[in-house]
Amino acid sequence: MTLDRRQLLGAAGLLAGQALLAPRAQGAVRLSASPLFTSEVPRTLVLLQLAGGNDGLSTVVPYADDAYGRARRATRIETRDLLKLDDYRGLHPSLPRLKALHDAGKLAIVEGAGYPTPIRSHFKSYEVWHTADLRGRGAGEGWVGKLVGAAWPENRDPNLVLHIGKNVPYSLYSLTHPAASFATPTGYKWAGDVASRAALERGGEVCEHGEQELEREPANNLEYLRKVLRDGQASSETIRKAAVRYRTKTAYPDDELAQALRDVAALSVGQIGSRVFSVELSGFDTHSDQKNRHDALMARLDAALPTFLADLAGTEAGRQTVVVAFSEFGRRVRENGSGGTDHGVAGPMFVAGEAVRGGLYGKHPSLENLDDGDLIHTTDFRSVYATLIQSWFGVDAQRVLGAKYPLLPLFKA
Amino acid sequence: MFRHSSRLALLLFAASLGLAGPGAASASPQAPARAPTSAPWDARAAEHLLNRAAFGATGVEVDAAIALGREAFLARLFTGTGRPRPAFELSQPERPSREERRAMSEEERRRTYQRLRRADNEQLLSYTGWWFDGMVSDEHPLRERMVLFWHGFFTSSAREVKNGEAMIRQNQLFRAHALGSYAELLHAIVRDPAMLVYLNNTKNTRAAPNENLARELMELFSLGEGHYTEQDVKEAARALTGYTQLDANFVFNRRQHDGGTKTVLGVTGELDADKLVDILLAQDACPRWVAGKLLEHFEGRVPPAPRVERYAKVLRAANWRIDAFLGTLFDDPEFYSPEVVGQRIVGPVEFMVANCRRLEVLPPGGVLAAGASLLGQQVFGPPNVKGWDGGRAWITTSTFLQRGNIAGMLLGVTRLEDIFKEDPDLFGAEDSTMEPAMDDESMGGDEPMEPAPGPAGSTGTEGGRKPRQDLGGGRGVSAGLRLMEAPRWRRELDLRGRLKACGAGLDAELVDQLGKDLLAVELSPEARQALVEYLRAERTARDIAEGRLLDQRAYGEAILRQLAHLILSLPEAQLN
Repeated sequence: MTLDRRQLLGAAGLLAGQALLAPRAQGAVRLSASPLFTSEVPRTLVLLQLAGGNDGLSTVVPYADDAYGRARRATRIETRDLLKLDDYRGLHPSLPRLKALHDAGKLAIVEGAGYPTPIRSHFKSYEVWHTADLRGRGAGEGWVGKLVGAAWPENRDPNLVLHIGKNVPYSLYSLTHPAASFATPTGYKWAGDVASRAALERGGEVCEHGEQELEREPANNLEYLRKVLRDGQASSETIRKAAVRYRTKTAYPDDELAQALRDVAALSVGQIGSRVFSVELSGFDTHSDQKNRHDALMARLDAALPTFLADLAGTEAGRQTVVVAFSEFGRRVRENGSGGTDHGVAGPMFVAGEAVRGGLYGKHPSLENLDDGDLIHTTDFRSVYATLIQSWFGVDAQRVLGAKYPLLPLFKA
Repeated sequence: MFRHSSRLALLLFAASLGLAGPGAASASPQAPARAPTSAPWDARAAEHLLNRAAFGATGVEVDAAIALGREAFLARLFTGTGRPRPAFELSQPERPSREERRAMSEEERRRTYQRLRRADNEQLLSYTGWWFDGMVSDEHPLRERMVLFWHGFFTSSAREVKNGEAMIRQNQLFRAHALGSYAELLHAIVRDPAMLVYLNNTKNTRAAPNENLARELMELFSLGEGHYTEQDVKEAARALTGYTQLDANFVFNRRQHDGGTKTVLGVTGELDADKLVDILLAQDACPRWVAGKLLEHFEGRVPPAPRVERYAKVLRAANWRIDAFLGTLFDDPEFYSPEVVGQRIVGPVEFMVANCRRLEVLPPGGVLAAGASLLGQQVFGPPNVKGWDGGRAWITTSTFLQRGNIAGMLLGVTRLEDIFKEDPDLFGAEDSTMEPAMDDESMGGDEPMEPAPGPAGSTGTEGGRKPRQDLGGGRGVSAGLRLMEAPRWRRELDLRGRLKACGAGLDAELVDQLGKDLLAVELSPEARQALVEYLRAERTARDIAEGRLLDQRAYGEAILRQLAHLILSLPEAQLN
């Protein structure tokens, strides 16, 4: 089911063919930067990881449920402060701009997202979210890695999957299409004058000799290093060029997440060939002093994500971008007594963008019917993945995820 | 084997050579007793051990190791050179007493605590430098390596702990137990003030248990996920209640401790932290977990299951002693197999330290810490409680390029501002490398392009990306990197002298010699060829005959540094 890709190539015609033959760095740029294809801007996905375990009950608050008030004291949010979505739930008071997106029909909230037999370890639970498989890393590649392998098997553009930040998440792990990554575009280069850079690039060029070996999974660390070096050299200039030339329409705050999303906007508009972006907002492991810390995180999220969507609004790239925010787990229903909450299970996911059909999906988990003090998930998060894979990218979700999950009507027809 | 004389290398190893008698070494009481081994002892084996058990070595040091003999070398590895550096003098701040605090105005109080915080930060920074100095020195490299290992295993981060003194004490705990008993260390870590803060155990009370430490103690510090239940976590948290700290000192708060009966992993009793730790140590999963992590660190691969099983028994039989465990590993022929030797991706701290050792330069420790931080390993600031993932995760498209840049800074051929600042020609205008289709219009979105900002990095319009002066690593990192520009410590760098001393002269000889001295693995034929061509082209442009490069004092050294920079930017330079 790689129809959309074939269609794109068909429309791109001769130029696309040339691009595939051209050296990769320029090839990707030529194909996508030409104004000829502005109506063929490919669909992209932005994954936003809320790292540390976001407290879902403080994000989409079930204010009308008495059990909420009973379980939460120090972290409780007053009903009058909430941004009410209906007569049962309200958004955290620091999310006014996300609320506006919701009201404009551009934000979908999938409640109670989780998985059976939840794991309360950050790392193991992340592995489940990252592989879409309860076995975690034992299941092999990350789910984006599997998606890329199925959707664009011959696309060797090093910018195809990009992580902006420090630690590349396992979801992007691919044997054949490793993600490129950088924390800030300026530092993403060989430093020095033209001559010394040319000399350094020779080190990368000698890695070109084994074209065959670079097309498969690296057999050893040396092969892996050669592939990464080649990808880095090919992607560095493209990315810096697009990042540095981009002029934003909205003012992004000086915040790590906002700045990373600013780069995503630059690279989306710059059409450098990326299909999946990954960014992170961390600090959600609120075992203590949750109120202050979570409030600040919500404010950062609200300052960054809507700014990004507003910046892209009205552009073709904007119409072709969807953002998905998720966390490895929610927190326990009952507070721990340190003014915080311990590791729990299910929580809400956000899906945002021009193409998104806004509203509530799934079901708020019950605060009465608990499993050993924890919520019981109502929607398998893999339904969201399956919808992204199938409805957004037009790829057979079962083939990527290895199982069938019900699709959600998250996108406008 | 490569031989050359180098003042610095001799200085570094003079003492060890001088005291090289096997009797002196084997007399050391701390060296673990080892059975006879069939493990090899040649240049390859010695260099492998120096790479994995120390922080890399020059040819001189490899030669010294061989001359010393296997037994004496290993004994020295486990006991250090016996020439201790001056200890770090931990100063404790004068905190105001309760009365003094009460007497202060709010402004005075604010200023006093600000000053204390600043002094505390400064002390952690100087300790970081002291630690890196220790890694580069030959005092006890295996111990320093184990301190780094434990820091990644029992992680705590200064960002959360917010107390430099506690972080330093934790590091000293790792130093004291580095090659000693894991069991003792596990008992100590549940009393470690930094850990108690980092994993919220200071909030873990009888009335309101906090599970954070209990969970990570089992998941990451002893058993691994899947070897305990959620109920075990809850019960273990109760056993840990009341273990707290005050001003970087352990405090047991009896009133907050839950003295009731708990059941953890099938053992019932009035469990406290020590009893809990004993239960964990008794699990079969525990030696497997620890042995697996040690094998992965020293062998650079995920260990095969039977190997983990075997070494779990070794660890148990050694009564948890790490020195005995490593002694067995270093005697194991499989440790010297082609699947292990030269196959490991080095971490950023190692990259910095080993390259200094190989280049024979001694920058201030803070410089090395800053470089490692930029490359993704900020000591005292691990990314999360799991520590650093390591292996292939160290290398991304950007950290790879950054490693080359940092190596260039060590060699003095790359300037900090080259890394900081964006190329002026990237901003458009006279850029000729792009296709006409990729013009400003298609790049600039709806707004017309602004005039290109100057090269000073004053990028962007309002809302654009601000130039990051701290390179994402914080103030300490920038300051450390700026120190890298100071020329003083680089005076030791004398590649020309080194190569001259060993008789290299022709282009291929220079490449081979430098490659051998700077790399832990063999240069690939393609890379070697490219480097030889580079030298030839540089020489020809200057009209210097082959074999005469080393006669050029300034230019010869400059071109060799460029060559070294190219070598350290290769894939081969990331392995050992």
